[in-house]
Amino acid sequence: MKINLKLKEDLKSFLMEKIQKEHNRVLVYSADKLGPDEKKVLEKKFTDLNWSQAIYQIDKSVIAGVIIKVGSKTVDLSLAGSLSKLSNTLYEID
Amino acid sequence: MENLGIDGKLLLAQIINFVLFFILVKQFMVKPFTSFMNQERKNEEEKNRMLEKLKKSEEAGIEAEAKMKEKMKKEFDVLFIQAKKEAQNMRADLIKQAESDALEIKEKNSRLLAEEKNLLYREVKDKIIKTSLAIVESTLKDSLDEVSRKKVTSSIIKNYQGGLKVYEN
Repeated sequence: MKINLKLKEDLKSFLMEKIQKEHNRVLVYSADKLGPDEKKVLEKKFTDLNWSQAIYQIDKSVIAGVIIKVGSKTVDLSLAGSLSKLSNTLYEID
Repeated sequence: MENLGIDGKLLLAQIINFVLFFILVKQFMVKPFTSFMNQERKNEEEKNRMLEKLKKSEEAGIEAEAKMKEKMKKEFDVLFIQAKKEAQNMRADLIKQAESDALEIKEKNSRLLAEEKNLLYREVKDKIIKTSLAIVESTLKDSLDEVSRKKVTSSIIKNYQGGLKVYEN
């Protein structure tokens, strides 16, 4: 089956754009819903991120603090993450 | 002679008689007897010679036996010393081997003990860390109410200086 070349290009550019958008989309996990002040502070702290399409999700396993995910990158500012880091540090100590 | 009362004929006859008697005795009695005696003497000498020979042979046999005994004793002594030396060498080798084996077993056991100790230490450490973290996590979850959590979250966000690691998935 032959596919129209233009259609193919359009589809490709659409998918690439979608992937790029998904890739740059900011995901914020917190134990409770973040207030506008906290969101503003976050935006100030991470100016290089595109906050216009940010998604805020509630995850009780975070305990407190936030986890920010952008594409394949993760910034862990949670108590759960701190405990995990503490656990790793304890394992490394002989 | 007649005046002396000696009968010449009788004398002659007696002389002849004596001579005949002497010859006969010598011929038929003395000679065989002498011959018998000589033979007996010869036999006796032969016996003595044989006895001497036997004695010498016996002495030689005794001497040879003594020599043989002496030689055997010497050989036995040499063999005994050699066997003793070999036994000592074998004993030394066995002791050396046993010491080496014992050392090897000791080292192996020490290594195993150290490994087991290390394993146990890691297991205990793992359990302590997991338990401690579970307690802390549970305590935090139980003790932090919504207001406290929000305060902590706000504090974390405000105090963030950009020093945290960014994890690549």
